[in-house]
Amino acid sequence: MVDLDKLRTVAKETVSRDDVKYLIGWSQGTFGYRVSPHFVKTPQEVDSLTFSPLCSNNLATYLTLTEKLPVPRGEEPDTRKVALMVKGCDSRAVVQQLIEQGITREQVYIIGCPCQGVVDLQKVDEKLGEGVEPAQASWENGQISFQLPDGKTEAFPREDVLADKCITCRYPNPVLSDILLWDEVEVWGSDDYEDVKELDSKSPEEKWAFWQDKFSSCIRCYSCRNVCPMCYCEDCILDRLNPTWMFRSNNVVENTAFQVARAFHLAGRCIECGECERVCPVDIPLMKINRKLYKEVREKYEFEPGLDPESKPLQASYRPDDEEDFIL
Amino acid sequence: MNDKFEPNIVAFLCNWCSYAGADLAGTSRIQYPANLNIIRVMCTGRVNPLFVLNAFQQGADGVLVSGCHPGDCHYMEGNYYARRRFTLMRELLEYVGVDPRRFHMSWVSASEGAKWKEVVEEVVENAKAVGPFDQFRRNKINW
Repeated sequence: MVDLDKLRTVAKETVSRDDVKYLIGWSQGTFGYRVSPHFVKTPQEVDSLTFSPLCSNNLATYLTLTEKLPVPRGEEPDTRKVALMVKGCDSRAVVQQLIEQGITREQVYIIGCPCQGVVDLQKVDEKLGEGVEPAQASWENGQISFQLPDGKTEAFPREDVLADKCITCRYPNPVLSDILLWDEVEVWGSDDYEDVKELDSKSPEEKWAFWQDKFSSCIRCYSCRNVCPMCYCEDCILDRLNPTWMFRSNNVVENTAFQVARAFHLAGRCIECGECERVCPVDIPLMKINRKLYKEVREKYEFEPGLDPESKPLQASYRPDDEEDFIL
Repeated sequence: MNDKFEPNIVAFLCNWCSYAGADLAGTSRIQYPANLNIIRVMCTGRVNPLFVLNAFQQGADGVLVSGCHPGDCHYMEGNYYARRRFTLMRELLEYVGVDPRRFHMSWVSASEGAKWKEVVEEVVENAKAVGPFDQFRRNKINW
């Protein structure tokens, strides 16, 4: 069970360490059911840290977002660690970054928080109405209860308010951590990719129409890229003008090309944390594309990203007997 | 479908096998459809899957990527990587609604002029069957 005292004690110890630069965790937000990422630099700040079903942010993104300033002449580079609080899915993002050597193991101190699933704020808003005053939530024996600002408590069965990615989650416990805050939770989910199979069985015209409808609303805000813990290229094709891989025009053709390219760049790398879908302001079902590639990778190459730090990246490795049915 | 439709097909051929194979087909005077726009690359492993997207956007009705047979790559393993990439790219394109008959990959060695003819015929036939791919064209920019 979630033990906030333990969390804060560990956080305090960690931040006090000489070899830790800062700690990234979650703290109560200022609006509704939101929780915001919190960068703790001094032991005095740890009391605002929290862990609840509202902590949907994947903090592993921040590992690679850190600005890398040039080191002044005569000074040593700062090699201190970044302490990071991770849920199961976040830890897989860290592992995948380790696989790709985006970060090294020495750069992070991983504080694992076994998680019983985070809520989808849209589902919560539907049930409780959009909150304005800060509210809190907690897991209570199979239910998620919300402590509303007016003092009332409302509880819902987990299945009703959990995010879709959590309902099918197979890795609620961190796969890699330096310290686990509390006991591992029981795995509840299984994933048969029913939604992907259903769409896949349609004709090309129907699929094209479905996705054109979704992609036509894309506003090219690139939130999906910015929030993705796997999208950390310093030189992104979307920003590059010479050569122009992706045109910036906001029309359905270019949006389709952008979405296909984005999804392809996550092939064999997406760890299904669902952040892209959560932040999408126009509700494009991005996980539906990502999960398709995840499914293919899992079936064709028996590979799952973000599990074993020793494994090689999918597209940087091969087996001579890989499937090649479609090749003439 | 319109019988007169002649598809534009962009073919990425590896320098060491398929390009030489196509050359052999030519020097052997084998007749095959002339719908191909051949782009020579040093290896199929050099073909970025985004090239396929770009080809479709810039007017291709079909794309063919052709290289050495597995194990015969001039660079030892380039076509193995390409195989993984394009398997996934094909699945993805199919999933967003691009007809799978628009994208093909083949292994043609330098001595397979006759196979090259068959491959091209099949690719062109498939592209003709699905028709022009206008819905993925890049919009003309009027400055």
